[in-house]
Amino acid sequence: MKINTSYSESIKQIREKNLPSREHSRRIIHWEEKHRIKSEVVKALVFILPTRGCSWALSGSGGCSVCGYLYDNPQKPDFEMIMISIKDILNKKIQQEEEYSIKIFTSGSFLDRNEVPINVQEAILKELAKYHQIREIVLESRPEYINDKILQNIVNNIDISKIEIAIGLESANNKILKNSVNKGFFWEDFEQATERIIKFGAKVKAYLLFKPPFVTEYDSINDIFLSVSKIKKLGIDTVSINAISIHRGTYLSLLFEKNQYRPPWLWSLVYICKEIKAKFPEIRLICDVVAGGTRRGAHNCGECDKAILEQLKEFTLTQDLKALNHNIQCSCKEEWKGYVLHEKIS
Amino acid sequence: MRFFQPKSQLGFARILAETRSKVPISPGLISLEKPLKKEGYSAYFEIPFPTLDNIDKSSKKLIWIFPKEKEEKVLSKSFVLTEQPFYPHFVSDSISSQDYFEYVESFLSFPEAFRQIFTLPITMTDSKLVNQVSQTDCSLYILTGLSSLFNNQRRLSELLVSLREKISPDIAIYVPGPISPAFYSFLVYSGIDFFDNSQAYYTSKNGYFLTIDRTYSNEEHPTCYCPYCMEKPPNLFKHNELIIKNALTRIHHSLKEETLRTLVEKDIHNKVSFAATLRKYDSVFSQSFRSRSPIISNATMKCVGEESLSRPVITEYRNRIRERFVPDLLSRIILLLPCSARKPYSFSRSHMQIRKAIKKGGRGIFSILSELIVTSPLSVVPRELEGIFPAKFYDIPVAGQWTSKEISITATLLNDILKRYSKDAIIINHMSGEGYKDIIQIVREQNSFTVYDTSQEASPTSDKSLSRLSETLQEIFSDKFSSDVQAPSTLTKKLRAISDFQFGSDTGRILFADSLKTKGKYPRNQQIFSEKEQIAILNSKNGFLSLSPDSAQSISTKSKNILEFGDIQVKGSNIFAPGCIKADNSILPNDEIFVVFEKQVVATAKAIVSGKDMNKMTSGIVAEIKKKTRVKK
Repeated sequence: MKINTSYSESIKQIREKNLPSREHSRRIIHWEEKHRIKSEVVKALVFILPTRGCSWALSGSGGCSVCGYLYDNPQKPDFEMIMISIKDILNKKIQQEEEYSIKIFTSGSFLDRNEVPINVQEAILKELAKYHQIREIVLESRPEYINDKILQNIVNNIDISKIEIAIGLESANNKILKNSVNKGFFWEDFEQATERIIKFGAKVKAYLLFKPPFVTEYDSINDIFLSVSKIKKLGIDTVSINAISIHRGTYLSLLFEKNQYRPPWLWSLVYICKEIKAKFPEIRLICDVVAGGTRRGAHNCGECDKAILEQLKEFTLTQDLKALNHNIQCSCKEEWKGYVLHEKIS
Repeated sequence: MRFFQPKSQLGFARILAETRSKVPISPGLISLEKPLKKEGYSAYFEIPFPTLDNIDKSSKKLIWIFPKEKEEKVLSKSFVLTEQPFYPHFVSDSISSQDYFEYVESFLSFPEAFRQIFTLPITMTDSKLVNQVSQTDCSLYILTGLSSLFNNQRRLSELLVSLREKISPDIAIYVPGPISPAFYSFLVYSGIDFFDNSQAYYTSKNGYFLTIDRTYSNEEHPTCYCPYCMEKPPNLFKHNELIIKNALTRIHHSLKEETLRTLVEKDIHNKVSFAATLRKYDSVFSQSFRSRSPIISNATMKCVGEESLSRPVITEYRNRIRERFVPDLLSRIILLLPCSARKPYSFSRSHMQIRKAIKKGGRGIFSILSELIVTSPLSVVPRELEGIFPAKFYDIPVAGQWTSKEISITATLLNDILKRYSKDAIIINHMSGEGYKDIIQIVREQNSFTVYDTSQEASPTSDKSLSRLSETLQEIFSDKFSSDVQAPSTLTKKLRAISDFQFGSDTGRILFADSLKTKGKYPRNQQIFSEKEQIAILNSKNGFLSLSPDSAQSISTKSKNILEFGDIQVKGSNIFAPGCIKADNSILPNDEIFVVFEKQVVATAKAIVSGKDMNKMTSGIVAEIKKKTRVKK
């Protein structure tokens, strides 16, 4: 059993209560940002495709306890319009002399045929293959959709060495996956998917979730370290540490409203990044803090948040530990230490 | 062997000492990390932050702080922290219970050195598996999630009482997390032994500023002139730490002088739900607290609030008076008197004047006179018992008004006592004022005694009232007195009453003859002789008796203060838990108890913990020997 039935039942109930209120949107959201690939900084084009949403979240399991991305997806996707938009945007944005990284996100799994039909997957990949300026393409998927057939399909349409498949592993600890995140798969599934992807010549990026529900900040720091070392052994060199932000309409949000959850401290993220980068300098470590400095995102006391977020951003981009070594002093640093320790003992 | 040993017990509150070195360490404070200065801390955690090199391998420890010279002697200097899986207390059982039980099972299989700290979420306190842990030598429970019940007086009282009833008093309970120092005294009273300094860490602009009775926001709080607040910028951590430390020494001290309950009654005004919980303790769970509160004490007892009416000690006192006080057979005149501020009553001006007036009643009047002092919150104090705790040690604010609860409690006890007197006894009511009037009214309604009022129109100490008292006594005295009967001396009456109160009904008559000899005068202890043999000592400080082993033997079948011992000879100066085969459940801490082997008293001793808890303890001292029976060669 990869799920805890009673836990998933209560997540499902929250999901069902909130789903009817989701808004119907057909717009393809996209933006441009700076992005680090290997040793240089390039432009990145990010697309968020308005699909029907993550199949796991829509299933009887209720989906992940922390995820509310589903509420931003439309009920009826219009793939014709999606294709037109992508073509149009690529055409407008991609310039001759620049190099690009393309990120195609769906708030679900790009490789899930039920979410993105196989012909749409093919069409998008073919379109991307037209641009030699594109150095890297990031696709997101849960491990269960990553099979030989779907990978072969990628190979048939594009140079697969450009592809990086990002998998939301969240944690390498099955207890956390089952009793905290309700992820529905285990470490072993991730392991298998990774082996497959590498066999086909693509790259893997792992997302790790910092401070899932019920897990104390101390244990979560420990879990991140444990997960990173396990991931590294699989030959993965890109890890994204995602500090939790509290999405409305989720189980986590209810905990938060009952005062039973505090989003992680930015101090912890700095600590984690420093530790991992110092011991594993070859890992590309990404730490984009969503909703940083707000009540529902990772935050400190409010006074030092901005400065630390700047540091983390700089670090993610430069992969240089120096970025984290500006000595920011704040009265809440003691408070953070006290909080982490007492939360651990309690 | 457990790490802790109770040194004294007051309800669920205890002073715990390290078993071997006897260094008192609870109620105490635990630091979350190694403190710069160890003073004021009982222990600190050594929890290294996780690093990539030591994932899951770093051992987390609790390190005890002892004075250097004692360190060599102690049982262990540190405990290994065992961890339950990551779940916090509010996670539903369906998610966490399986992993939690795995934790408990692995805990039970650890070697003893790793079985000292046990983590117990409040949701698991009723589990059967947890009961098994209390049978091991585990010394410290970390009780998590308790603060979520701070506003739920029903569940809070049920949980704490049932947990403390279940586990032995030498198991300490530590409640982690930020708790206002204003609540410490109440929680110690409820059986919590350790707190931590986590609240001191909340030092940012949204943090806390602590005072001994409240928590303020750091933005707006009273000015403080402690050296740490005078620093620029103020060192808030050190200020908060200081307040927390002082709050605990205050409690430690009050436990030492046995005034914790007074402190608790004062401190519960800081939180209404605790005030409500205390009332639950005093009503629903009164027995649990009474059976662990010493009645032998010499601590002053301020009874200011309504809570004082139902203090465990006072309830126990009333109960013993009701069950054990028997007036002398010859008593025919019952004199009801008001209390006085000075204790014992007979040392007060008013009672001296009254005594003078009584003497005018006639020679030998005391042989048929029984004096009952009517008072709140003790209700009734027979003259014979005015020198014992709590009668000699309480203090109340007197404004002449009695609450209806006070009136009904007092009148009920008074009526119960009056039933013990001969039917032809006469009551003289020498009390005046509203409350007393109501009480006498109830007495009149429920008894057939003739009642004379001698202080109806003026105060009891006015010349008018005093001469009416003398006259009334004269009138009755000639009627009731017969010089043929030899009456026991006033001293004998007093000693018998104390003995009955202290050791159990009927013991006084066995121990003390009608006339006795004494040596030593107040304020020194009085030695009591019977036929040249010293049979007892009357302790002048607390008013209670110490018996010689021979006297103890004579009442050993009547008395309840019996500890059955496993050997004919007591070695050393203490009784240890393994030697205690069975202790009477009515033994209170501090009680004078008799150590018995095969119906033979082998020693007298002072109980450290209650009889109930002696039976629960598996190691440590349960009583201190006072006197051993000489072994016949």
